[in-house]
Amino acid sequence: MQKLEGGADRDELRADGTTAAVIDASFTVEPGQIFVVMGLSGSGKSTLLRMLNGLLEPTAGRVLFDGQDLTALSPAELRHVRSSKISMVFQHFALFPHRSVLENAGYGLEVQGVPRAEREKRAAEALELTGLAGWEKSWPDELSGGMQQRVGLARALATDADLLLMDESFSALDPLIRRDMQDQLLELQKRLKKTIVFITHDLNEAMRLGDRIAVMRDGRIVQLGTAEDILVTPANDYVASFTQDVDRTRVLTAGAIMAEPHTVMGTSTDDGKELRTAADVLAAAPATVTESTPIIELFTPCSQSGVAVAVTDDAGKLIGVVPRARLLAVLGEPMTPAEAPKDIRTGTTATKKVASV
Amino acid sequence: MFRLPLGDWVDSAVDGLQTHLAWLFDAISSIVSNMFDGIAAVLSAPAPLLFAGIVAVIAWWLRGLLAGVLAFVGFAVIDSVELWDEAMDTLTLVLVATIIALVLAVPLGIWASRSKTVSAVTRPVLDFMQTMPAMVYLIPGVIFFGVGVVPGIIATIIFSLPPGVRMTELGIRQVDGELVEAAEAFGTTKRNTLLRVQLPLALPTIMAGINQVIMLGLSMVVIAGMVGGGGLGGAVYRAIGNVDVGLGFEAGISIVIVAMYLDRMTGALGREVSPLARRALARAQSMTGGLKIWNHRPQPVVAVSGVVILALVAGALGIFGSSGSDQDKNTADGSDIGAGKKISMGYIPWDEGIASTFLWKEMLERRGFEVDVKQYEAGALYTGMANGQIDFETDSWLPVTHASYWKKYKDNLEDMGSWYGPTSLELAVPSYMKDVRSLEDLKGKGSQFKGRIVGIEPSAGETGLLKDKILPGYGLDKEYKVVDGSTPSMLAELKRAYAKKEPIVVPLWSPHWAYNQFELTKLKDPKNLWGKGDGIHTLARKGFSADNPEVGSWLKNFKMTEDQLTSLEAQIQKSGSGKEQEAVRTWLKANPGVAGTWTPVAKGGTAKGANGKDERDRAVEMAWFPWEEDIAATYLWKAVLEERGYKINLKQFEVGPMYAAMSRGQIDVQFDGWLPYTQKNYWEKYGSQLSDLGSWYGPTSIEVAVPSYVKDVKSLADLKGKGSRFKGRIVGIEPGTATMENLKKNVLPAYGLDKEYKVLDSSTPGMLAELKRAYAKKEPIAVLLWTPHWAYSEYGMTKLADPEKAFGNGDRLHTIAAKDFPKNYPRLTKWFKDFKLSEDQLAGLENQIQKHGAGHEEEAVKAWMEKNPGIADKMAPQ
Repeated sequence: MQKLEGGADRDELRADGTTAAVIDASFTVEPGQIFVVMGLSGSGKSTLLRMLNGLLEPTAGRVLFDGQDLTALSPAELRHVRSSKISMVFQHFALFPHRSVLENAGYGLEVQGVPRAEREKRAAEALELTGLAGWEKSWPDELSGGMQQRVGLARALATDADLLLMDESFSALDPLIRRDMQDQLLELQKRLKKTIVFITHDLNEAMRLGDRIAVMRDGRIVQLGTAEDILVTPANDYVASFTQDVDRTRVLTAGAIMAEPHTVMGTSTDDGKELRTAADVLAAAPATVTESTPIIELFTPCSQSGVAVAVTDDAGKLIGVVPRARLLAVLGEPMTPAEAPKDIRTGTTATKKVASV
Repeated sequence: MFRLPLGDWVDSAVDGLQTHLAWLFDAISSIVSNMFDGIAAVLSAPAPLLFAGIVAVIAWWLRGLLAGVLAFVGFAVIDSVELWDEAMDTLTLVLVATIIALVLAVPLGIWASRSKTVSAVTRPVLDFMQTMPAMVYLIPGVIFFGVGVVPGIIATIIFSLPPGVRMTELGIRQVDGELVEAAEAFGTTKRNTLLRVQLPLALPTIMAGINQVIMLGLSMVVIAGMVGGGGLGGAVYRAIGNVDVGLGFEAGISIVIVAMYLDRMTGALGREVSPLARRALARAQSMTGGLKIWNHRPQPVVAVSGVVILALVAGALGIFGSSGSDQDKNTADGSDIGAGKKISMGYIPWDEGIASTFLWKEMLERRGFEVDVKQYEAGALYTGMANGQIDFETDSWLPVTHASYWKKYKDNLEDMGSWYGPTSLELAVPSYMKDVRSLEDLKGKGSQFKGRIVGIEPSAGETGLLKDKILPGYGLDKEYKVVDGSTPSMLAELKRAYAKKEPIVVPLWSPHWAYNQFELTKLKDPKNLWGKGDGIHTLARKGFSADNPEVGSWLKNFKMTEDQLTSLEAQIQKSGSGKEQEAVRTWLKANPGVAGTWTPVAKGGTAKGANGKDERDRAVEMAWFPWEEDIAATYLWKAVLEERGYKINLKQFEVGPMYAAMSRGQIDVQFDGWLPYTQKNYWEKYGSQLSDLGSWYGPTSIEVAVPSYVKDVKSLADLKGKGSRFKGRIVGIEPGTATMENLKKNVLPAYGLDKEYKVLDSSTPGMLAELKRAYAKKEPIAVLLWTPHWAYSEYGMTKLADPEKAFGNGDRLHTIAAKDFPKNYPRLTKWFKDFKLSEDQLAGLENQIQKHGAGHEEEAVKAWMEKNPGIADKMAPQ
């Protein structure tokens, strides 16, 4: 720790035989948010996750959950928090092979000491939520990977915990099923409004699920922000290199790339009509979209017309335009690193905060 | 090289442990033996077949109908070879060892799985436990826990513990870390993680470990048998000691049955208790078709009720069933010499051996002995005889052919002299091989004989001589190869070749009937490499002639001529194998009187000596030792013989010089020969130069002894009702020895102790270790001992009186005479042989001598003889 505080980096420390898995990672997760931690293997993201529910104890720093410092709790108190308020979904499902699907889903409740009848009822409800109604009597090894992870999800949901920790939960699934599960998670999240910390090494997944994303490298958070922040203003080359593979068209929104309406004032439409007012622009635009529309939806209109697509606010007022040239330019040029991300405090103390839910 | 005193350290460590931790060992010992007794009582309560039924129902439940049927058959086989009690003891031993091993192993394995330090520490310890030869544990085991089942169980536990620990640790470590993490992430306590996640998932591996524990335990039962663990191991051990192949196989197959049953059942139980394995099994079964009935398994409820019903029936039978005690058989006492006394003879299936053996069997049976004849391999025969399990055999070719055996075992054998000789060994060829007359003629003719000599048993002395001396001596070893076979196969080959007039060369010996049957040429041995002709000797176990003086003297005087032997061999050959004794009878009829001369029934002799002179002409040199009983006997005989006109010279001697002098013929007779034990060394050294005229007093030597602090036990009869104090056991010595058999079969029943006490098979050191242990703690203990023994000077011991004289033949006081004494003094020999004193007589005489004081022995004897009128006539009938 002292070495780290003195400015030593991870590699220097490794020479001494210790590995600093997580260094200086401070962030806050708001209630009802999906907070994604993205990083490659060895970046410390799993360690970070395990500190959130006390499976691992940080050597320094605090974990505040609902105003309570988890690092200061006794083992028994910590177990109580884990059994009732935080649940976890694992990469390789971690289903108990000697328990049926129903028994697996009800495991957390069993630990809480919920009576059998209620436990089974709630476990069955959770299974139904994840679309596994009718499989209660089956055994884990009789299910496909996707179904097994649904059991894992059901097990986590059954305890009605506020915080859901998901450790690369979809990484072991094949791509189609993974997408399915992502959709289902988003669907569930709309209804349940849980607070979710999701670990992944897949930026696409991170961008798809995350309300906010923390990118980790070598135990440090290198950038923290929304998907667009990361895509549009990567904090450094490392983050930028990640974003290359991302399908920008699905992440970037019209609002992010639109130009001021006046940039099209004075231009003409394909049939020679000059655009002079906002009304002209709206009338001539091949499509009118909102700020949050992903740019993938702009390609078809742009291809049909030389006039820029209009972007309006909720009231229908023209706030920007996306001309064809701009659309293509966004796809073509890689984003250059922007200024250092504002959310990260530089410093030597590793403090992680989870704001009150 | 510096001698590391490792053994000494261990010695003193063991001593220290014994003194300081005795209470602990006692506690362990009593826990283990109580467990053993409890489980043994339960297992041996039901009738064997009922128990087999219980066992079968369990097998049916766990494995299916076929397994049930096989289990029943298997256990029925154990019962039918009459090893049921042993099998139950073994089962108990294994169960106790397994239970204790698991109680230790599973927690230890769990601990090791959670702590790297514990794991690192236990691993080498486990390696040590498993690889140290298990028998090594028995030595301290006996010192700490005494002989019996406890050290056997302890050794078994130590030996079988490691796989239990290892498999438990492995099983738990194998459980997916993510599952454990998942359990923790849901707030499971450590204990519940272990109980609900780790142990259930590790169960198949742990069950495999349990299975190994049981199997290793079973493999230890034989070794446990060596320290009195009893059971099937004891039976195997006994079979090894007796070279009893039949018993060995029966006990062995019983172990196999028990082992297979336990193996299959624990395997099946492993599947049954583990939900994972149970599901895998169910899936596998649903895939296989075939005979469903064999795979049908009853519901657990059905199985349990089946077992319970059978157990209840068993319990009821056990309560109401009468346990009839064996009735003692009274053997009618005949006037014949043998009086049903058992004599066991061994023979190697060589013609002259068969002939003489069955001749003696017949003759001894005519004299009232019960003769048991068994065929042995040469090595086993000598070992058996040296161990005292075989009384005598008649076919040792000495001094050459069987020299190696004689050299090895002579300390434990008695040579009764040669009854036929000289013999010769030779190579023989059919006479039609005209150009082969001498061993030298064989050279260069290897191709004619296909380069082979059709040999006999590889273990035979002649084979050894042939290979090591004859062939190299004549330079034939490159050209000829000795084809090992057997005497019958050699003779068959000879017969075949002879019929076809093929060249053949075989090792033969004279006398042999083959010389009558075929025209054979004995090849000359110009270099004299075959050595001098042997005599065919009768060898007996040490002490045989002392125990059976009549038979001893018959054997010593036995001689056969070549005619007699070859005609007897021919008769046996004619009658065919299996009818040897009938052939002997036929032959004896054709040779009337020979049996009488070979096995004379002694009558009152005359005073005529060997050379027709009156034996009284020569003074009898009589030696005595300054021991009370010898003073008494010597002066008594002096008085009696002087009345009969003999001249007696008395000389006092020490034991050693007396034997030396007597062997040189300087002393004629002596009355204080403590045989077969006390003066064993002297007898071994000088016995061949002496005559044993039988014992006149005994037994003096073998007894059950208890420490003197056991105040109320003075006699064997006092042991009755005190079984619980002595833990129901008498610590014995090597099983299979005559003394032990006697203790079990005669002594205990004679006092009605056989139900109450068990004689623990052990060894002399084992018994002494146990005595030392018990004595140090002032525990009641009864051991089999004999006099003299240093134990008596070391400890205050009470020799238990044996009023029933049940110990019978033990160490006796023998009359020892010079070699030629019987020849020179036939009448005295007869008298001395018939001489007997009772305990009262001897005690009275000794008492009298004591009263009169030293120097007045002759007066004392006279006074005693007056009180016992007719004693002189009884001792020396005229």
